[in-house]
Amino acid sequence: MTEVFTSVFILTSISLVLVLLLLIAEYFFANYGECTIDINKGERVLKVQGGNSLLRTLSETKLFLPSGCGGRGSCGTCKCKVVSGVGQVLPTEIPYLNPTELKENVRLACQVKVKQNVQIEVPEELLSVKEFETVIEKYVPLTHDIRGLRFKLPEGETVKFKAGQFVNLVSEPYGDVTESTSRAYSISSAPSDNKALELIIRLVPNGIVTTYVFEHLKEGAKAKLIGPYGEFFLRDSDREIICIAGGSGLAPIRSIVLDMIDRGISNRKCTFFFGAVNVRDVYYVDEFKALEAKHPWFKFVPALSGKEEGHGFERGLITDVVARHYGTLDNHEAYLCGSPGMIGACVKVLTGKGLPENRVFYDKFS
Amino acid sequence: MKQTPDLQHIQEKMKAGTLTLKGFLGDDTRTLSDIIAADELIVASRGLSHEQIAAKLADLTERGRDLMEGEVELDGRFRVSVRDDRGKLPSPWGDGRFEKGDTVLVELTTGRTWRWNQLTLHLVKNHGFYGGQGSDYRLDPQEMIALLGL
Repeated sequence: MTEVFTSVFILTSISLVLVLLLLIAEYFFANYGECTIDINKGERVLKVQGGNSLLRTLSETKLFLPSGCGGRGSCGTCKCKVVSGVGQVLPTEIPYLNPTELKENVRLACQVKVKQNVQIEVPEELLSVKEFETVIEKYVPLTHDIRGLRFKLPEGETVKFKAGQFVNLVSEPYGDVTESTSRAYSISSAPSDNKALELIIRLVPNGIVTTYVFEHLKEGAKAKLIGPYGEFFLRDSDREIICIAGGSGLAPIRSIVLDMIDRGISNRKCTFFFGAVNVRDVYYVDEFKALEAKHPWFKFVPALSGKEEGHGFERGLITDVVARHYGTLDNHEAYLCGSPGMIGACVKVLTGKGLPENRVFYDKFS
Repeated sequence: MKQTPDLQHIQEKMKAGTLTLKGFLGDDTRTLSDIIAADELIVASRGLSHEQIAAKLADLTERGRDLMEGEVELDGRFRVSVRDDRGKLPSPWGDGRFEKGDTVLVELTTGRTWRWNQLTLHLVKNHGFYGGQGSDYRLDPQEMIALLGL
């Protein structure tokens, strides 16, 4: 028995020494020294220590590319164009890059290591993305599986965003989850309310971040937000607006409507169709009805597709309800937020009524 | 089938808390290669393919998909609803990201329930992986073959 323990001890010791040697070797020989990252042809030049992933290196300098998995190479969202300074595309990147992206040197920043000077190109708006250490000011159950959260920014800080954009909420490790994880959620508050951000979050079965929100966050808790991101926002025009959403898809539409009120946009009629299955799935009805009563250009149309009676809302699938409300859509714009299936069905109805597809804007849950 | 280093790496990613909260393995203590091999044996012994099983399940999803989370009774045997959830799930094999949004299938006579999403179907179809024993997303091939009348 003693011999076995001695052998195990010797083997473990040898392994530890080897690991130590490897760490020392990495420190001395894999030291890439100071490198520069040139962003958008000299618009910003960063001096960084080489050796880490591009995603991590950029985030350490407070430039936050979107990332849904915390840099584990499993979400494919941290894409950026790398003009020079990195090696071949890795097998771990290929599933997430389409042929056009591969041709244009788009890479996953989490898989690219900074070993020398690098030139990259990122969309202009990412340069204004910030990280916010917030405190949860309000945590409200909106339905049985949807929560409304208000995150207060640090004293003196403000956030600038377009109504319709989203932020990433970062969850801390808990239970079996050993790393921070982030997920995107649309901002539901108005841009004028710039000392806080409100999000609407629905519990996803088996979801790492939504479970964290439901089981570990409460009023007074700290939470990290990164953003804003996204191309879903109200376009400047004089066209009539059709908004369609379901579930937590209400969030960006609420932000857009509140923003229209703040900006005094009263020359555009706006109808918001909100689809749900049962009465228990509907929320913010009082708020939207109050807005409707105060602003003649705004109309709120909640609709339920379930079998319940006596609720007073419109009945049927939201696509059918929208179809019933309109004849030809010749001077309209549509703003949709929901699952790809819901978006697809809505686009079919809207374009079938004559609305050009380039006037349909959507935030597909993807 | 051998548990290659690649499969071992994939099995690591399937653990709870890595890609999803509860992972893909349930309380199964077998290696990934053994899990796949055991299910493959069942499917092959019935002269079926993983594609056929995945296609039948995908068809049920499609028939419930346009209802925006509404429930629908299908074939007088099942009740199906498809959730609309935000985001995508990465495959542990690293071969794509798939829409979240579970399909929940209830067998009317027994009340037994199964759930899957686009990733689950991809794993069945392309990797012959039906989930570990005890996983919420386990689609036991023997049960599926009987249930779907294959």
